[in-house]
Amino acid sequence: MDFVYSILIFIGLFVILASSFDLVIGHCGLISIAHPIFYAIGAYVSAMLSKQSGMPVPLSILCGGVGALLASALVSVPALRVSGDYLLIASIGFQLGLIELAKHFHEIGGAGGLTNIPSFLIKDFGRESYVVLVLALAGVTVLFIRWLTQGPYGRMMTAMRDDELAFSMLGRNAIWIKVAVFAIGSGIAGIAGGLYAHYFRFIEPDQFGLLQSSAVLTMVVVGGMRTTMGPVIGAIVLQLMPQVITFFNLPPSILGPLQGLLFTGLVLFFMFVRPQGLLPAADLWVGRKPLEGAGHSGKEARS
Amino acid sequence: MFDLAVVSQILWTSFATSSYFVLFAVAFALVLKVNKVFNFAQAGVMTCGFYAAYVGVRILNLPGYAGFMLGIAGGVAMSFVLEYFGFAVLRQRKASAMFVFIFTLIVSQFIAYAVMMIFGTWPTTIFASMFWPVTLVGGIAVSAWDVPAIAATVLVLTGLWAFLKYSRNGQFMLAVADNADLAELYGIQKDRILMLSMVMAGVIVSVGMFLYGSRAQVQAAAATELMLFAVAATILGGIGNIWGAAIAAVVLGVVQNSSILFIPSAWQGFLLFAFLFFAIVLFPRGFRLPERRNTLKRMAVAPQALSDGKGN
Amino acid sequence: MSSTLEIRGLCKSFGGIVVADSIDLDLSPGRVLGLIGPNGAGKTSLFNLVCGVVKPDAGSIRLDGQSLEGLPTYQRARMGLARTWQNLRLFPSLSVMDNLMLGPRVYSADRLVDVLFRPAQIRANEAEARDRARDILERTGLSPIAQSRVQDISFGQQKLVGVARALMNDARCLLLDEPMAGVEGQTYALIQKAVRDIAASGVAICVVEHNVAFIRDLCDEGVFMFAGKVLARGSVEQLIADPHLTELYFGT
Ligand SMILES: Nc1ncnc2c1ncn2[C@@H]1O[C@H](COP(=O)(O)OP(=O)(O)OP(=O)(O)O)[C@@H](O)[C@H]1O
Ligand SMILES: [Mg+2]
Repeated sequence: MDFVYSILIFIGLFVILASSFDLVIGHCGLISIAHPIFYAIGAYVSAMLSKQSGMPVPLSILCGGVGALLASALVSVPALRVSGDYLLIASIGFQLGLIELAKHFHEIGGAGGLTNIPSFLIKDFGRESYVVLVLALAGVTVLFIRWLTQGPYGRMMTAMRDDELAFSMLGRNAIWIKVAVFAIGSGIAGIAGGLYAHYFRFIEPDQFGLLQSSAVLTMVVVGGMRTTMGPVIGAIVLQLMPQVITFFNLPPSILGPLQGLLFTGLVLFFMFVRPQGLLPAADLWVGRKPLEGAGHSGKEARS
Repeated sequence: MFDLAVVSQILWTSFATSSYFVLFAVAFALVLKVNKVFNFAQAGVMTCGFYAAYVGVRILNLPGYAGFMLGIAGGVAMSFVLEYFGFAVLRQRKASAMFVFIFTLIVSQFIAYAVMMIFGTWPTTIFASMFWPVTLVGGIAVSAWDVPAIAATVLVLTGLWAFLKYSRNGQFMLAVADNADLAELYGIQKDRILMLSMVMAGVIVSVGMFLYGSRAQVQAAAATELMLFAVAATILGGIGNIWGAAIAAVVLGVVQNSSILFIPSAWQGFLLFAFLFFAIVLFPRGFRLPERRNTLKRMAVAPQALSDGKGN
Repeated sequence: MSSTLEIRGLCKSFGGIVVADSIDLDLSPGRVLGLIGPNGAGKTSLFNLVCGVVKPDAGSIRLDGQSLEGLPTYQRARMGLARTWQNLRLFPSLSVMDNLMLGPRVYSADRLVDVLFRPAQIRANEAEARDRARDILERTGLSPIAQSRVQDISFGQQKLVGVARALMNDARCLLLDEPMAGVEGQTYALIQKAVRDIAASGVAICVVEHNVAFIRDLCDEGVFMFAGKVLARGSVEQLIADPHLTELYFGT
């Protein structure tokens, strides 16, 4: 049963990761694959706060999210000030550099990883409760991103993707929007990281490297960028698929590369055969009902 | 520790070592200049070049020069596949810059995983031993690797320079780099030139990987870090400036290798990421060199202008 | 009367190409200035300099007395500078209405904090912007296609959407880059009327146009540009009649 719970937890966490990554790369058009590093920051911050200073776990998870949110600005502000192209490079440098750094800090477990992270809920209410918590938060994340992207902020992101120069000429600050969305996406990933840490109770730096990046990217590309359900479907499909491989009892030295091959191969396949993903996004941005305003909703709202 | 002999020894060794860094950086800068892509798939090409040479020397027991040729063939083949089945298709489809970015990244990882499956994750070298006999020259130990490596690098750079300056195709390449559409109007076959620059980059990085792999251990993921080094050098050298990238690569190579003098060796690997970060934060447009009067000056328009086009 | 936009000694060159050679220019409230010149004279570049899309080598630009030096494009727009683009630059993924909705100087969702924590205010701002957009669409005759995608409407209508989107800014100074190129018939009259109305409300307008009839009908004054220099300023008739300028224009 624990195996099933683990898969469900992974599905929930990857729904959160893929959806928030889609917000960054799909909706906002920011090219970065360093999403897992913010997942890592959330995990480490939350684990260390609860382990060392005995902070209550819900609070430490929240702090992990805030930590990831703030850390994202370290990358996005300098890179985006120059040009969107540099974000990718800066973020890869940040991701790999931070992983390298974490391996040298024995206070946070070094390369061997951080063990004995305090657990949460499981002792009192059983593993089921944690599964419910993670899946519920995954649902909330999906709904939140849908709400954000279908509102006035989504309209801005769409226009900015279409033509950033014309967008700035209307008085909109593109850099700030990018920094803000990058921060929100990263903050959400950070919360997922905390959730991971307090369930599996062990984290190590190498977990959050490029393999993880390609996994999340695959989920978004395969599922369909800029759709609500695309990343969800992508996360579910790509979580279940590697499980099938694990049944073959392959040695870990083969298993890891095989998973990587599967993820990257799928992205390549989809890029050339079905670039829009399983669920294609609509060409035209359409906001929520009250925004669409078929009738004179605006005037009604004021009177 | 800081006596002259040690310092000059370290400087010499790091200078020699930076030879392959220069090659990686030049190849990356060339593709960025001509094909207008940050070609992260270069890591994949490097991996292919290395393992082709490795198979030749270690598995087929061919002599070194045959392994060298095989390595180049491997890099060129991968470059060809990338351009023909990848970039050309994406160009035709008018894929967005993001799409191309993702493509290059994913390809290089795909190759890394494929190689891991085939050759395992253990580091290897092209020759059975990576230790080279040493001769003392004026108190400095010069290994048998150093001189050929530097000579090969100088040869490749001179070749590239002469090619760009004197050959017809080289001029075409610069024309395409300057303005691809205009070049096409003048009857230059854009696709052929873009292929040519990819293939040349393939040759250059394969030479670099042969040098690297005969002196240090390589595993499937190593190329990614080597390539990030090239990225940092390309940015520092000024986007679109191939020779600037080469000079930046020498400087970074010397700094990284001589860093043993200042910081613990465990932290040396971290230095690369510091470079990358500082390149972007402090010198995003490269070191400002005095402007040369040159008809191709307009290439120096920063990436912003590259992606925005002109504001009409 | 003091000028709305004041350009002094503006210089810019790209490599060897001089696009602005110590340009002095004033735009006055309520007046329409026509900017004439052959292809490559630097008209669009002048707009780009004013908007901060391109950084000048030297010179100053003031909007309502305030220096624009070093300000990013979006801040200039928020100070009341609006423009259209020679090649339109509409947002193809948005409907006509949503293209306009992004135009106000202060947008409902400019601050993410408000989006997250003050939904009521956002709703009110949106409603206000929508009313304004409806009003402008009405005036420009675009109401029937408000929900269409911008690719699905005629080229003339697209040009009109560009102007309408700029109008959302409630600008002090409006720069129009070839609003008439490729436009004919009814839309022609609509754009002309729209520009007249805006000028009447006290906005300073500058129009780049190759269509001489349009310039003559609309502009209070004209400026002739060549190779980054302002060669002459005067009534449009004068400029057109000058044989020297005509020669430069047609490049004989
Ligand atoms: N970003 C840039 N980099 C290099 N050259 C540029 C840039 N922008 C404009 N130019 C050059 O400056 C010159 C003036 O261009 P500009 O677009 O301002 O002319 P224009 O007067 O608007 O012409 P048209 O009537 O064709 O629109 C042209 O030769 C153009 O190639
Ligand atoms: Mg123009």
